[in-house]
Amino acid sequence: MHIRVTRSGGFAGLTLHAELETSGRPDAAELERLATDAVTAAEPESSPVVPDGFEYEITVDDHTAHCADPHLTDAQRQLFERLLHEGA
Amino acid sequence: MKYLAHVCSIVPPHIVDALADSDDPEVREVGLRTRELDDQQRQQRLRAVPIEAPAVPPFVTDQPDRTVFDAGQSTDLPGNRTRGEQDTPTTDQAVNEAFDGLGSTFTFYYDVFQRRSIDGAGLPLDATVHYGQNFNNALWNGRQMVFGDGNRKTLQNFTASLDVIAHELTHGVTMYSGGLDYQGQSGALNESISDVFGSLAKQYTLRQTAEDADWLIGDGVLVSGINGVALRSMKAPGTAYDDPLMGKDPQPAVMADYVNTLRDSGGVHINSGIPNHAFYLVAMALGGYAWEKAGRIWYQTLTSGTLPSDADFPTFAQATTATAHTLYGPGTEEDAVRKAWGQVGVNGNG
Ligand SMILES: [Zn+2]
Repeated sequence: MHIRVTRSGGFAGLTLHAELETSGRPDAAELERLATDAVTAAEPESSPVVPDGFEYEITVDDHTAHCADPHLTDAQRQLFERLLHEGA
Repeated sequence: MKYLAHVCSIVPPHIVDALADSDDPEVREVGLRTRELDDQQRQQRLRAVPIEAPAVPPFVTDQPDRTVFDAGQSTDLPGNRTRGEQDTPTTDQAVNEAFDGLGSTFTFYYDVFQRRSIDGAGLPLDATVHYGQNFNNALWNGRQMVFGDGNRKTLQNFTASLDVIAHELTHGVTMYSGGLDYQGQSGALNESISDVFGSLAKQYTLRQTAEDADWLIGDGVLVSGINGVALRSMKAPGTAYDDPLMGKDPQPAVMADYVNTLRDSGGVHINSGIPNHAFYLVAMALGGYAWEKAGRIWYQTLTSGTLPSDADFPTFAQATTATAHTLYGPGTEEDAVRKAWGQVGVNGNG
């Protein structure tokens, strides 16, 4: 599974990208579960965000979806923290 | 499937997703709004947990009613109540900085615009510090301010900068003034107004004239070693930082450089550079304390009740020009506002 996350917005307006291929990774099963849950709970179009909240674009293989602060599910939060190495 | 819109409050999440997925924009909007409401209701339930009752009668509304909470690196809001109006300073610097910053912002709005708190009616000011782990952000969630500790590689100390705290509180002021849709040009105006009053709160506290002010936003949050002076510059948008870890400040100063993007709600933190620079030009043209005339014109425009929530740059340019005329008559002030918008390439037809 190919997972890509882009975070934009926030007070600073800095954009962050991260992507990875799960095959061959020891944590592949967990990442694939998080990514599947995260993208299923996300919106096809950009979600409304609170002022200075973070906005996220998740792509799992060829399916892209969106979510934003403060509407993140636990799976989305965990996925973003794993990929971006920052609190979500 | 439009009939589903009428029962949206009990629609299960997967149906909401289907609504939000619809090709019909009206149905899609209902789906998206339902998710929003669900979350608000969940937050209200969380918020309804009673906190300690005040030991003394409520404060009169010309004084702030501040409460700072500590999330202890969790993402639970509001967190543990740590300091209220009756309490002495704590040993936690972030708590004290947030408390003081809320007070300075309250004083600015009250002294300069006779506004009592965010809603003009003494609304309590709640802030949570130490939110999340390495949370590189500060935000207004519609009911309170939330401050992370930063990732400490690029950003840190969000509570140390008064302009950051006043920026977040001003999102509340904008919301209570009728709001500016957080998307595209109206969203960039929403961002710009938070930067304008964030900077003015700092200038007022330091008693700086327009000439003496640094016109920087977030000058205290960059980690030392980052090549930059702040997150944004109203004086020279696009010049605040240029660093391998952060990239280059993407803000335009003029319409010719307007950035079209789907990200960041359509570039709200990017294109805010244009109205930010227009305000700076008005303040410099009028000279002296920027909150006295330029700030008054912007504040009056924001709170007039006539600014549409989907206002674009030309609409706001026209509205500020008209406000300058109303407040000061024809002449210097109105001319300065019209000229500034012209300089950033926004034609208000005013
Ligand atoms: Zn903002």
